[in-house]
Parts: sequence; C-alpha cells; structure tokens
Amino acid sequence: MTDRDALVEQVAAAWRPRTSDGEVRAHPAWHDLDDADREEAYRVALRMRRLEAALDPEGLSTTARAVLARIRGVGSSTP
Amino acid sequence: MSDLDQHLPRIAAGDPEAFGRWVAGCELRLRASLSSFAARVDIEAVVQETLLRIWQIAPRIEPDGRPDCALRVAVRIARNLAVSELRRVGHAPIAEPIALEAPQEPDPLLRGIIATCRDKLPQQPAAALTERLLHGGVLPDRDLAAHLGMQLNTFLQNITRARKLLAECLERHGIHWESP
Repeated sequence: MTDRDALVEQVAAAWRPRTSDGEVRAHPAWHDLDDADREEAYRVALRMRRLEAALDPEGLSTTARAVLARIRGVGSSTP
Repeated sequence: MSDLDQHLPRIAAGDPEAFGRWVAGCELRLRASLSSFAARVDIEAVVQETLLRIWQIAPRIEPDGRPDCALRVAVRIARNLAVSELRRVGHAPIAEPIALEAPQEPDPLLRGIIATCRDKLPQQPAAALTERLLHGGVLPDRDLAAHLGMQLNTFLQNITRARKLLAECLERHGIHWESP
C-alpha cells in the first residue's frame, strides 16, 4: 500500500477530530492529499457509507453512528 | 415513497432514535449533494457538522408542505458550511445549482447479498471491516488497528482488501458496487 493509498483510506473513514468547542474538523490526513486524491477519498467514502448502512441492522452508517454518539454524549476526539 | 419529515416531531422532542432513522434516510443524498466541493472541502466533516446542527435546530424547522423539508434545510446548511470553508482558505465559492438525488428505498435483497459476501471475507479483512463498523465513526484508525494488534498500515490494507473483495463478490451477483 502506498502512502497515498493509506491517506485516502484514512480520509474515507468517518472519524473526525473536533475543536475544543465541539466543531467537527477535517481529517488531518485530508490536508496531505491533492485535489484528485481528495475526490477519490470522497468516492471511497460514498461507497463505504452505503456499504456500512447496508450491513447495519438499523441502516446506519459509521457517519450516522458518530453523530448519534455525539448527541448522546459518547465518543472521542482523540487525534 | 415515505417523507422523511415524518420523523421531525420526535426529533424536535429530542428522540435520538427518530433522528437516527432520519439520518439513515437522508445521509447519502446529503453527501452526494456536496460532490462538487470534494476537492476543496472535507465532505465528511461538513456532513457530520450539518447533521449535528439539524439536531440542534430541529424544533425550529417548519415543514413547508413539500417533501423532505428537513433534508432541504440540511443541504442548505451543508453548502453554506462548505462555502464558508472555501472562503476561509481563500478559494472562490462554487456556484452550482442544488440537485438532490432521488431517494432510494432500502433493498432487503441487496442487504442480504452484501451480508452473504461479508461472511465470505478472509479473517483479517473481516476483522478490520468489523472494527470500522463498530467504532469507525468514534475512534481513529490508529486506535482501531491497535485494538486488533495490527500496524496502522496493515489495518488500512485490510480495509482496502475487504472493500475490493466485497465489490468482486457483489459483481458476481450482478451488482456493480464500485460505480459512483
């Protein structure tokens, strides 16, 4: 796996850091990608969220799970 | 076709389960509406921030008689967030009409095939995918890899492999998963 592939795969995941006041920020690896790789990460994320939702009994992707964890006061912002 | 606004009253009353059902019905359409920003803005961050804001303002959303009012509000919030981020880093805003994809109803047959393909994954890719499904939105990949006793790069390789094997399996069932 190339460094570029590893960065794309990380950016395609749903985990995102947060600021001290709770705002969702870009993935640190996103800043290391060029425009084409960012678009590739977006496409991979689109496929992954569909896949995750299809495999989840409630139809929830990891993005949905992340947001629900936030509103329930669960979760981590560990960078 | 169901209207996602049916969930609004319970969301406004603070029901996370109702919000989850609303998110399950709209997330992919919201994400797809932001495709033109993908090279300039981290769409995942925008989607999550938008969903959190919808949760906060839900009691103030007034249905306008057309379907999916809350989703249309979400799309506007998301685009405003994306444009703000563009301005913050000195890029010109992207002027493009908002186009929402048609809603897709859950397909139980497709879900069954995907689950069957998942069950056929080799152990390591299956473990990595399961870790992402269980904790991927809450913990970074480095932590997920550590849970499995893998190096980060090995974990990411297994995620890539899981996705490719699933796509190949689905292809054998006539489902073209890797198409955008």
